[in-house]
Amino acid sequence: MRTRLLVPVIGVGLLLAAVPLWAHHAFAAEFDINRPVVLRGTVTKWLVTNPHSWIHIDVKAPDGTVVPWAIEGGSPNSLYRLGFTKESLVPGTEIVVDGFQAKDLSNKAVGKNITLPSGKKLFLGGSAPGANGDGAEEQKR
Amino acid sequence: MSHRWHPSTAALATAILLLLFVQGPVAGQTASSTTKRPTAGKGWTTPRTPDGKPDLEGIWTNATLTPLERRKGVGTKEFYTDQEFAELARRVRNGDVGEEADIGAAAPQALRYDLSLYGFDLTKATFASNKRTSLIVGPEGVVPPMLPEAIKRNAEIAAKNKGHEFDGHENRPLQERCILLGQERLPMVASANDNNLLQIVQGPGWVAMLHEINHHTRVIPTDARPHVAPTIRQWQGDSVGRWEGNTLVVDTTNFTGLTVNFRGSGEKLHLVERFTRISNDTILYQFTVDDPTTWARPWTAEIPLTKTEGPVYEWACHEGNTMISNILRGARVAEDEAARKTAK
Amino acid sequence: MPRWFSDSILIRVAVVGFVCLAATSAVGQTPTYRAPRTAGGKPDLNGIWQALNTANWDLQGHAAGAGPVPSLGAVFATPPGLGVVEGDEIPYLPQAAAKKKQNQASWVMLDPEVKCYLPGVPRATYLPYPFQIVQSQNVIMISYEYAGAVRVINMQAPTKAPAESWMGWSNGHWEGDTLVIDVTSQNDETWFDRAGNFHSDALHVVERYTPLGADTLSYEATIEDSKVFSRPWKISMPLYRRVEKNARLLEFRCVEFAEELLYGHLRKKPGN
Repeated sequence: MRTRLLVPVIGVGLLLAAVPLWAHHAFAAEFDINRPVVLRGTVTKWLVTNPHSWIHIDVKAPDGTVVPWAIEGGSPNSLYRLGFTKESLVPGTEIVVDGFQAKDLSNKAVGKNITLPSGKKLFLGGSAPGANGDGAEEQKR
Repeated sequence: MSHRWHPSTAALATAILLLLFVQGPVAGQTASSTTKRPTAGKGWTTPRTPDGKPDLEGIWTNATLTPLERRKGVGTKEFYTDQEFAELARRVRNGDVGEEADIGAAAPQALRYDLSLYGFDLTKATFASNKRTSLIVGPEGVVPPMLPEAIKRNAEIAAKNKGHEFDGHENRPLQERCILLGQERLPMVASANDNNLLQIVQGPGWVAMLHEINHHTRVIPTDARPHVAPTIRQWQGDSVGRWEGNTLVVDTTNFTGLTVNFRGSGEKLHLVERFTRISNDTILYQFTVDDPTTWARPWTAEIPLTKTEGPVYEWACHEGNTMISNILRGARVAEDEAARKTAK
Repeated sequence: MPRWFSDSILIRVAVVGFVCLAATSAVGQTPTYRAPRTAGGKPDLNGIWQALNTANWDLQGHAAGAGPVPSLGAVFATPPGLGVVEGDEIPYLPQAAAKKKQNQASWVMLDPEVKCYLPGVPRATYLPYPFQIVQSQNVIMISYEYAGAVRVINMQAPTKAPAESWMGWSNGHWEGDTLVIDVTSQNDETWFDRAGNFHSDALHVVERYTPLGADTLSYEATIEDSKVFSRPWKISMPLYRRVEKNARLLEFRCVEFAEELLYGHLRKKPGN
C-alpha cells in the first residue's frame, strides 16, 4: 500500500469535525506546491525545537559546490516519547528529501518524504539511540 | 504492505474491545446521558487526594478519532454497537476512515509533513472508548445552527481581513503567531493527535491543568469564587471551579472579543466543564457551551480522557516560530515578483 | 556581699550571655520557623508568591539610571537595587566578561525578555510578576504569570531530559523544610537579568525554597557553568506571599506585544 500521509488543512475542519492534526500550520502559505524539490544531502545539524524542528543538510550540486538547505519538520515531542533525543540524528547521516520549497525562494523546504539512501524512512521503528538507531546503522554501510 | 501494519494489529483491536468492556456502564447510558451522573464500574471507588478531594491527577490524553459532530447517515444513534465499533477501528487502520480517507485520498499530492518524522503511529489512534458516534451528545449530535447575528458578526470580521491576509503579522491566524493554538483552546476538543497531553496537578483549594501544546496552564481555584472583573477579558477566559460530589465543575467566562471564539462564538461565550474520574484510567470530560449571541441553545459534548504515560515535554511555540516570518517573507517575494512583471 | 550571691550573679550573667550568643548565631543561619504540613505530610509551599526587588534589572548592586526610551522618562528608568548576589561578584571567565559587557550595552536588542521568550531558571522566580506553586505528592507545578511559563518539578526518583528546553528539566527533593530543586538542560538563550548576565548550555542551577514564616520564603539559587564562570556563585532573596483574598494569576501572553519588533520589517510595503 502506498504510504499515505496526512494533510494539514485549515478550514476543512467542518468536514473533518475534529481538529485536524496540523491545524496550526498553513502549509500552502509557507511552502509552494509548484516548487517540488528532491534533495540528497548530509545532516549538519538537527534543531530539535517546537513548533517545528529543522534538519540542516549540505547538498552537493552536480558541479561539486555545497549548498546548505534547511528542512522543516514537526514538533519533536512524539519522537521523545519513542526514545529519540537530539543525539538521534547524527551529523554526517545522509538523507533524501522529497518535498516542496519555501515560498520565499530561500533554501528551505518541507519534507513530504524523508528517507535514508536505502529507502528506509527516517526514525521508523521507534528505536532509541544506542540500540539500533537507524541513522547510525546507515552510516556504517 | 504499508509499513504501518504491525503484527500486533489484531492484539490492538482486541485491547480496544477489552477497554470497551471496562467502560461498559458509561457506554450503556442512553440519550441525554448528560442529565445522569456518570457512573463508574462496580466495586471501584474514586481515589482521593490526601486532603480528601477526588483525585484527577496524572497525565491524560483526549486523542480520539471520534468527530465532534455526527457524520451524516448515522442519524439519531448516539452509540455504536460493539461490532460496529470494532469494524470502525479496523477501517481506520486500513486508512478508509478518518483524516486520511477524507483528505489524503482526495489530494495525495498535497503539501504535508513526513509522518514518520514525528513518530506518529496511526495504529494508536482510536475512537472514543465510550463508543459515541459523535462527541456532541443528544439526538442531533451536531452544533446547533448559528444565529443570524453571529453569522453577521463573523462575516464582518472576515470582511475586514479580506484581501489583507498576508499584509502583516496581525492579519495572520493566532495559531501561526503562537498566541493561541487550536489545540490549547477551551473547551478541550479532541483531535487525533496523540501528542497533546494534559497534566493535572492538585493542591489544596486549586486544580492545575497543563496542556502540552503551547504549555497552556490554568490554575483553577475550587472555592467557587466570583469571576474576575468584566473589564478583564482573556484569550482563554477566566476559570473558577467547585466540587459537586465527585465531579469538578469549572465555569469559564470573560473571553475576549478580540478574536472569534470557539466555533464562531463571541465574547459572551460561557463554558461549563465537568471532570469526573470513572475508573483508574479514565476521566469523563463533559463540556457545555452557551452563547445567546451565537446559538439558540446550549450544547454539550463528552470526551473520555485516558491515562497515558508522561512526561509532558516543553512546547515552546513562539521562541522557535519560523512560520510567521517565512509566510510573510514568501508573500513579500510574491509581491515583488508581481511588481517586477507589471513593470516590464 | 556574700560569696554565694556574687557567684549566682555571675552564673546568671553567663547564662544570659550564652543565650544571647546562641540567639545571634541562630538568626543569621537556620530559621526556627516550622511550616505547616500539607495533608500529604510535606512542608506546605502552596500559594501565590512574588519577589520584591530589582534583581530582574540587574542581579548586582546598582544605582538608578536612565531608561532606554527617553519618552518614557521616569516610568521606565532603571530603579536602584542592593543586589542579590552573595559577595556581589559574578565570577566571569575573561572572555565571558567581555561578552557580558557587550550584552549590557545592547540589552534592548538582545535581551530575550523583550521578545517575550521564556525566561529560564532562576530568572522566572524574580521577574516582577507573581507565580503559583501547586504542590502534589509526586510533582510540584510552578506556574508563572509571565508568558504563561510553567515548570513541573519531578519529586520522585530523578529523571533525565531528552533535550534542552527554555525552562530546563527539574528534579526536586526535600531537605528538612527546604525544597531543593536541581535544574539542568536549559538552552543557552536565556539571560539572568536585563543587565546582560548570561550563561551557556552547561548551566546547572540548584534552587532552595525555605519557609521563613507564614507568608515568606527564602529563595536561594546556586549557579554553576564551567563555560562561563570560574566557580559557582549564589543569589538569595525573600519571596513574599500574595495575601489578597482573591489573588490569581492573570494571562500575560506577551507574544503579541513583541510582534511588531520581530515581524514589523516583513509588513507589506504601501503601494505594492
